[in-house]
Amino acid sequence: MGLPDSSQVLSTEMEVDAFRRIFPLRFFERHLSESLRPDARPLGKARDTIVNLGLVSTADGSALAKIGSTTMLAAIRMEVMTPSADSPDEGSIALEFHMPPICSPTVRPGRPADAAPVISKRLSDTILSSGMIDLKELCLVSGKAAWMGYLDIYCLDADGALFDAALLAAVAAFSNLQIPVVALNDNGRIVAITGGKDQDNASIIEKKAVNKEKRKLTLNNIPFSLTCILHKNYILADPTTEEETIMDTLVTVVLDSSDHMVSFYKSGGTVLASSSAIKSCVELARTRAKELKQILGEMDID
Amino acid sequence: MVGLSVGEQHFVKGGIAQDLRTDGRKRLAYRPIYVETGVIPQANGSARVKIGGTDVIASVKAEIGRPSSLQPDKGKVAVFIDCSPTAEPTFGGRGGEELSSELALALQRCLLGGKSGAGAGINLSSLLIKEGKVCWDLYIDGLVISSDGNLLDALGAAIKAALTNTAIPKVNVSAEVADDEQPEIDISDEEYLQFDTSSVPVIVTLTKVGAHYIVDATAEEESQMSSAVSISVNRVGHICGLTKRGGSGLDPSVILDMISVAKHVTEALMSKLDSEISAAEACEDES
Amino acid sequence: MAAKPGAATPTYSPKLVGRSRLPVFKDSDLDWSRPDGRGFHQCRPALLQTGAVSSASGSAYAEFGNTKVIVSVFGPRESKKAMTYSDVGRLNCNVSYTTFASPTLGQGTDHKEYSSMLHKALEGVIMMETFPKTTVDVFALVLESGGSDLSVVISCASLALADAGIMMYDLITAVSVSCIGKSLMIDPVIEEEGCEDGSFMMTCMPSRYEITQLTVTGEWTTPNINEAMQLCLDACSKLGEIMRDCLKQAASPSDE
Repeated sequence: MGLPDSSQVLSTEMEVDAFRRIFPLRFFERHLSESLRPDARPLGKARDTIVNLGLVSTADGSALAKIGSTTMLAAIRMEVMTPSADSPDEGSIALEFHMPPICSPTVRPGRPADAAPVISKRLSDTILSSGMIDLKELCLVSGKAAWMGYLDIYCLDADGALFDAALLAAVAAFSNLQIPVVALNDNGRIVAITGGKDQDNASIIEKKAVNKEKRKLTLNNIPFSLTCILHKNYILADPTTEEETIMDTLVTVVLDSSDHMVSFYKSGGTVLASSSAIKSCVELARTRAKELKQILGEMDID
Repeated sequence: MVGLSVGEQHFVKGGIAQDLRTDGRKRLAYRPIYVETGVIPQANGSARVKIGGTDVIASVKAEIGRPSSLQPDKGKVAVFIDCSPTAEPTFGGRGGEELSSELALALQRCLLGGKSGAGAGINLSSLLIKEGKVCWDLYIDGLVISSDGNLLDALGAAIKAALTNTAIPKVNVSAEVADDEQPEIDISDEEYLQFDTSSVPVIVTLTKVGAHYIVDATAEEESQMSSAVSISVNRVGHICGLTKRGGSGLDPSVILDMISVAKHVTEALMSKLDSEISAAEACEDES
Repeated sequence: MAAKPGAATPTYSPKLVGRSRLPVFKDSDLDWSRPDGRGFHQCRPALLQTGAVSSASGSAYAEFGNTKVIVSVFGPRESKKAMTYSDVGRLNCNVSYTTFASPTLGQGTDHKEYSSMLHKALEGVIMMETFPKTTVDVFALVLESGGSDLSVVISCASLALADAGIMMYDLITAVSVSCIGKSLMIDPVIEEEGCEDGSFMMTCMPSRYEITQLTVTGEWTTPNINEAMQLCLDACSKLGEIMRDCLKQAASPSDE
């Protein structure tokens, strides 16, 4: 936890804690003037990030991403559907971001969190516009059948930078995705082939296999994002919930693996960003993208 | 809500401890049970049961439906309970919702048996008309008109009586049709099928007040309970469902003791209920 | 939070009580084996971890086989609705499922039935008088449903409550038993639950040896009920030990 060292005398510790609660902004500004954050991070550094793949056995692809304490669980389930008439040779992806009541004290059951639909929309825009997934790859039989990917991202613990963590989990889940084996039966319907992978090729070919074996998607331009807080002249990368509630100007930069900008998002706020601040944000995002690429790369080796 | 003064609370508790309750009953004695069947002409079957001041109505409606894809060889049964504001002002609006869903859940547990259908009071397979295509959907609605304790037992008895009273039209299914199509059906106006209700269990609720437990508690007595266990037992003496209410814990041996007492009480209650139901049915036929 | 298969995960299988007969294996069920190869009276390994959610007052993660559950406890905090004054605290429970919790594609929804059962299982054990006028919220999310979901949710919830420092008389442990044919199977998986003849779920306070919640469905004979209860009691007390160890483990590093 970011609390002051417990070795201190209890009374002073109480004072610091009380100060933090009563004058949160001054507490933070005092830290910022020392170029340090309450959790001992330098301003431009993101929290420790962990990605785990394939934790959900009921899904075709899943991943758990943790940035600091912010935890996201993403799972993809594939279903066969008829493609729309506009794009007969494309599959589709349906993305939903959930904030169940367990993740934060502000979410109550029965009332979905305000932030959830916003993040949901931004995520699906980002993923679809980044060109990470070639929807044509999800096609099975042109005009007849294509894959529909249901991607559900659950926030298990909300501690700031939700969008970054959710995008990371989504990307990791796609990299873990194994498209199931299906075949076309005599009635022209798609049936799942269970049991055999590629051993009983004979029976699959007989049934006009559409997918001969479980395959992975090719991920082209993987988007990575970094959210920063602008406060006065300071730029804080990867904010926690506490920081987000105290200082409200958020900038999210999404870059893809070849350093192109996929999206840029600044949601109002009290601070007007100067172009130099934006440049620094992009620079921070570029460093962060390299970090994340490495983390994901390590996953693939396993 | 029953508001009892401290003196009244002592009186109720003391009476139970001495095996002489405020209305003169012993701990394991029921209030008089009154059964009337066929009270709602529009329903396929209905019954009204009064136990002391508790008054409930149950109706059974059957509709043609489609079996669920998970259980293509079975019909469906749904139990709904409504607690009318006539029984208690707090039931108005959404006030009775929690109690209603709790009762409905307990009844479902008691009547529908395990996942495989073992111990079910209603044989779901008998509701099937054509596998995977057509079946009867049974809607069991319970209405609490007046509440003076022991609602679950009363509703259980009313549902049993209503099922006995239920007549389901015979259905003829037209000859074979293609896999994807719904077969044509013909609902007979004359021929009716009766339910076999012999396996429908009866529910006995044992309410623990102080160190003792009582059957058929009144609302006054229920307000003093520490916990209650509802046990449904069928004709062969097997337990078909058990639910516990009330927060306080019970010793395992007490629960086992309660189960054996409940089984004992059930035998008498079952025959009493059977004779009441058949009397009510006879009475309805005459009129 | 992630499942770390590091140290051997403890199980809480009840010891076989000295019964003269071996009822299970004699009959036609001889060749029935459980889908995951367990013995009839063998429980799945129980992985428990407190402090899974940093923003909650207390939380726990439980993984019993494929059943994965997170429970967060918030509060005691201000009651949500403008409710009347109350001397004792309030308990609010909610159980929901993720959309990918079960193999059949379904909607992730609130589970009203489980929410009220969780409430009933917990209300008797929490010292409500210690937080007057306020509410404790217990929220559970079933990440993956692999059978015996409710029992796992209840046990995990009591661990989360302990983690949150809510005063309780005892820990609550819950264990289910399925009856298939003549056999009793403890801690059933989802496939077994689908074809069971009867289900039996018990929650108890292991140290006080009291049953707080008991639900039975299906058809049961009295000897079967007795046996199921013995199995559950024994498993519950063992699970209680595991939960206690988990809490001790979580508490020890902070002493440094």
